[in-house]
Formats: sequence, structure tokens, C-alpha cells
Amino acid sequence: MKMKFVLASFLVAGAMSLGLMANASSGGKDVAKDATKDSSAVPVSAEQAAQNENMHFEGEKRFRSNCARCHAAPPKFSPRMMATIVRHMRVRATITDQDMRLILRYMTE
Amino acid sequence: MCRFVRWPRIVAKAALLGLCFLFSLALQAQDDGFKAVPILTGSTAYFTRVTAGQYQDAPAVSPVLLLPFGDKWLVEAKGSYSDTFSKNAQGDYNGTISYGMTYGQIDYIANRYMTFVAGRFTTPFNIYGERLAPNWIRALQTTPLTSPVTSGSSLGGMMRGGFPGTESLNVTYALYFSSNNTHHLLATDRSTGGRAGFFLPRQRLELGASFQQVLQADRPHSSGIFMEWQPNRAPLTVRSEYVRSSGTKGSAYWIESVYRLSQIRSLRRLELVGRGQQFFAASNLSAATVKKLGALGKDTNEGDFGLNYYLRSDVRASASYGRQFVLGRDANLWVVGMTYRFIMPMLPQGGAR
Repeated sequence: MKMKFVLASFLVAGAMSLGLMANASSGGKDVAKDATKDSSAVPVSAEQAAQNENMHFEGEKRFRSNCARCHAAPPKFSPRMMATIVRHMRVRATITDQDMRLILRYMTE
Repeated sequence: MCRFVRWPRIVAKAALLGLCFLFSLALQAQDDGFKAVPILTGSTAYFTRVTAGQYQDAPAVSPVLLLPFGDKWLVEAKGSYSDTFSKNAQGDYNGTISYGMTYGQIDYIANRYMTFVAGRFTTPFNIYGERLAPNWIRALQTTPLTSPVTSGSSLGGMMRGGFPGTESLNVTYALYFSSNNTHHLLATDRSTGGRAGFFLPRQRLELGASFQQVLQADRPHSSGIFMEWQPNRAPLTVRSEYVRSSGTKGSAYWIESVYRLSQIRSLRRLELVGRGQQFFAASNLSAATVKKLGALGKDTNEGDFGLNYYLRSDVRASASYGRQFVLGRDANLWVVGMTYRFIMPMLPQGGAR
């Protein structure tokens, strides 16, 4: 009985650590993900400004091609509301992860 | 006998391990930078319809509840309530209340390519049901003739997602299974199926196909194709769906174009909509089956034209006229009304993060 308990605990712990490892490995490099982080506190270089402008352009493009395909452009909501809305639309309209992040950035600028 | 007793235990253990695995995935933050808040959204609408001389006034509300948990979970539920007042021969109005749950599902974003859904959800077949059906989104308020051919809702599990195939191609997919449910409000068929879509962002063109196999009664299967195109140089959207069923429900297609008059300053909030559609009833139907199927038992042609005017981005006035040609029963379809999309946080929004 004790042996069974130890074995079950080991299996549960193993599954949890496997899950954590799988998730950690999938959260690698993502340009759009980094883009959502606030950079207002850091002095913006010309290169960074150009990159921000490019991200804005990309975000607008993704918004137009994904969201505006079905409905009129909504007003911009607070970032925390947008996070929920974009997650909902990611599932409903099968928007790719990359597009979702760029759209979230664009809609919260 | 012993083997039969062991099986449920093994399945239960496997399910427990699976849950632990999913839970541990959820614990690891996705870090979007923003903490999502619960939201109550949805739409209200008031439409007056005149169908073959029969007046109907229908106020309706469709609330959608979005409850995010952590960074990977989302519980979403959509209900609907409407009261349809119909004018009878004496000129009096009688009200008929209808309500239901369009979907109630739990979404788990497993990774950037895959989302698992469990519960009652809109069947992922072509594009109308999932994307265009809400009354604040649909360009014309009359439902296309393709919609009744396949089952609109499912109860079970679904795996879906999207990924960029190349720089100029996004691939989307959805696979599902559904169990049979005979509850009068939540009825679903035992079925399985899926949808695959290919989106070309540069051309803003999406093409895709769907399949559904019903696993009960006479086990019909349905297949469909769809397209949606928004040319870069014009404020135009062209959409189309085709569906064919092997059973008694026939086949149908529709093609719709929406043109926004954004180039004319005084009319930039106005949309012109046109749609043509045909329904072909299944051949060799008996007289009894035709009677049982009702509208699905006869060939139908329909043309609709409509106007949508956006008073604000969330308030829209709509009007449309359609002509339906059915053997021995042609009809005019008039619809006039308004929709309002609402959205509000259910908790104080706090700071930006």
C-alpha cells in the first residue's frame, strides 16, 4: 500500500515537472512577446524607435487582416480588457499566437 | 471480470495524470504583460421583420461572459434571449419567448499552436456559425440557407489552433467530437469533424474546407468549402460558403459582398451588402419526408440587398430587402432594426498591468 502511494506520488510529480519543462521550452524567443513589454522607462534609441514603428505597422496590418475581416474596428479598451478580448478572439477566430501578440500590442499602444 | 474492474481505475489514473500535466502547464505564466480581467460583453438588438406579409418585432439580447484564469485558461459562455411578437389575423400581437445557451466552454491554450476546448461549443464548420453569426457582426440579418444543413452546436471536445506556415501563409485547423444530447435547449448530435483554413495575409484571402460525420441515425456526412477575400485596394469583402450533405438535407451555397463607402466622406459609415444563395433539396425524398423537413424539403433561391449604417463603432442601424423564390410560395423579406454591442469589465481594471 505504501509502495503504491510512493509510486503514485512519483508519477504525479513527474507529470508536473514534465509539463513545466515542456512549457519552459516552448516559451523561447518571440519578438512580438518582447514587444509587449513596456520600454517607456528606457531611453529610446533611433534603432529602437524604428523597431517600434515597424511593430506598430505590423500590428495594424494584422489587425486589419484578422479582425477587420469580420467586424468594424472597436474602440481601444484598457490593456487588461484587451488581454481578455484578444484571448477570446484567438480561440474563436483561430488567430495565430504571433498575430495575437502583435494585435494586443497595437491595440494597447 | 477482474479486467473489467481494473479498466475504470486505469482510465481514472490516466485522467488524473493528464490533469496534473495540464495544471502544471497552466502554472507557468505565458507573460503577455497584461493581467486579463473578466468581461461581460455581447449585443442587444431590435428588429422588425416582414416575411411574406407577416409582421414580427423581436427584441433580443445575447450576453457573453469571459472569465480568464491565469494566462492560459478562459471560460466563455454565451446565452441568448428573445421575445418575438407576431401580428395575427386580427391585428393583435402575440409574444413568443425563446432562450438558450449558444456556447459554454472552457479553453486551455496549451501552446502557441494548440488550444483545447471542452463543453458546448459552436461546431467548427465553415465560417458563418463561428465568426459571422452574432447579430452585430452579420452583414445581413437573414440567416443563410446553408446554416440548417449541418448541426450548429456540439457538446464534447475540440482541438484547434493556427500557425504561420510560411511568411505569406497562415494555416488554421479545428478538430472536434461531439456526443448526443437530447435536452430540448441544448440538443446536439453525436458527430465528429473538422475544418482547415489557409490564409494568405498579403492577398487577404482565406480558403478552407470542412467535414462533418454524424454518428447516429442514418449517419449522414457533410462537407463544405469557404472563401473570404478583402482586396487591398478597395473597402470590399467577398465571402462565400458551400455545403453538401449526404443525407436528406441537400446542399446549398451563398456568396456575399460588403462594400464600405469609406471613400465618400459623408457616406463613410455606410455599408452596402448584397447576397445571392441557392438551396437544392435532396433528390428522391418521399412526400412525408418533404413535409417533415419543411423549408429544407424544397429548392429555394434567394437574393438579398441591405444597408448598414454605423452610428458609432458599436451601434449599427440595418435595413434589408430580400426576395425568396420557393416553388409555389415566393416571398418578400424585409428587415429593419438596430444592434448595439456592449462590453464592460466585471472587476476594477486596476493599472495598465
